[in-house]
Amino acid sequence: MEIFEKSLEHLYLVFTATVFSVIVGVLLGIIAYRVKHLDKIILWLTDTLQTIPSLALLAFLMIFFGLGDLTLIIGLVLYSLLPITRNTYTGLKDVSPFLKDAAKGMGMSKMQRLLLVELPLSFPLIFVGIKIALVTSFSIAVLGVLIGAGGLGSIIYSGIQIQDVSMILKGAIPVTLMAIVFDIFMTFIEKRMIKKAKN
Amino acid sequence: MKKKLMAGLLVMVFVFSVFTFSGCGNENQIIIGTKDFNESIVLGEIFAQVIEAKTDISVKRKLNLGGTFICFEAIKKGDIDLYPEYTGTGITAHLKLPVISDTEEGYNVCKDEFDKQFNIAWLDPLGFNNTYAIAVTKEIAAEYNLSKCSDLKVNNASQNISFGGEHEFFNRPGDGFDGFCDLYDVSFKGDTIKMNVALKYKAIGDNEMDATDAYTTDSEILEYELVVLEDDLGFFPPYIAAPIIKNETLLKFPELKDVLNLLSGKITNTVMTQLNYNVMIDKQSVKVVAENFLTEAGII
Repeated sequence: MEIFEKSLEHLYLVFTATVFSVIVGVLLGIIAYRVKHLDKIILWLTDTLQTIPSLALLAFLMIFFGLGDLTLIIGLVLYSLLPITRNTYTGLKDVSPFLKDAAKGMGMSKMQRLLLVELPLSFPLIFVGIKIALVTSFSIAVLGVLIGAGGLGSIIYSGIQIQDVSMILKGAIPVTLMAIVFDIFMTFIEKRMIKKAKN
Repeated sequence: MKKKLMAGLLVMVFVFSVFTFSGCGNENQIIIGTKDFNESIVLGEIFAQVIEAKTDISVKRKLNLGGTFICFEAIKKGDIDLYPEYTGTGITAHLKLPVISDTEEGYNVCKDEFDKQFNIAWLDPLGFNNTYAIAVTKEIAAEYNLSKCSDLKVNNASQNISFGGEHEFFNRPGDGFDGFCDLYDVSFKGDTIKMNVALKYKAIGDNEMDATDAYTTDSEILEYELVVLEDDLGFFPPYIAAPIIKNETLLKFPELKDVLNLLSGKITNTVMTQLNYNVMIDKQSVKVVAENFLTEAGII
């Protein structure tokens, strides 16, 4: 039962983090796309965040946000920014210039073009970014135990402490399973979206 | 469809905020942290159980935090109230002072300076010292009549004993292998063997060498029936374990001091090694090991 409870915690942490990553990531992607010169800075920033070793980033965040779930969620959000922001930016950039012109010609405002044409057209790519972020968050969230957050990490790390392989597996298998299930599920949706877009 | 999605998102955000901000503020609760190794976790569990048995304070456990740095930052921030710490770590890592080789002086420096600099109190030592030591096989100890490190010098016994250890022990400038050989004026048979920590006990168990460096409370000492030689010249700096606790918490729950000091001197090197052994080798759960210790020692 402990495994079930910890799996739920794990899911909750990853989900919450992903929701926030989507909000922040897509917003940053839009800003990078819309505001001249900011794109390089934003993309550089998200790239750099990704290169910081996870435990170092979490230990650093811990100094400001203390022990617990909040710090882990912030860490996960920072790691998720790269795929989401970059895919949003690329998606928006790659919308066909003819379509953009057509929207302009129809008299749409900048905001209308973004919300009604550009974002919907780039959504499949943004969705891929979200998928990558979600799936990788499952494994990064394991480190949460080291900064006092919940999740399956506590089982895995207890197993490592006492060199008990079966205990390590008890924690690791649910993490992997959840990541795989979400990966398959989201890939399925993604394929359907692409199919729909083609028709 | 889109509206539903947005609504779903908003609900999640709301749930999250409620979750995050309602968790804090249990008046009658303390939080115990530990570092991410076995001995620290066992000690944390012992603290927790003794507090639960002797007071009506509820205890939240944050065992397995990622190391010294995180525990110390957490206690300074007030995210945990207490955790087990070692004097050697306190002096070099937290106070950034040079090594102090006198046991009592080291403890007193920690006690005074932590109180002044960090507003953290050191309670009474638990009774063991987890430092480096030299361990030899049972057979070698019997053959050359070894019980303390200076016995290695008697009749040049060490020259018939082969030594192997972990890389770090050979690389430590002050309290490593070379310093040890200088102080005790000994040299070992042939070339020393350098290896990974995990392998050194296996190697001595397989009789590939006769002596190695060890931490004094390692469970493998029992597993391989090694004899730890007493450091009679005081070469290795002391790592005396004690609970450290925020002064603020002690003010709020003054009874904690007496309750935790019930453990004072009760966990000797032999006891701690045995507790580590019970968890590491016998695979008993930390909860059970802590409970058995406390009942057998007559504390609860």
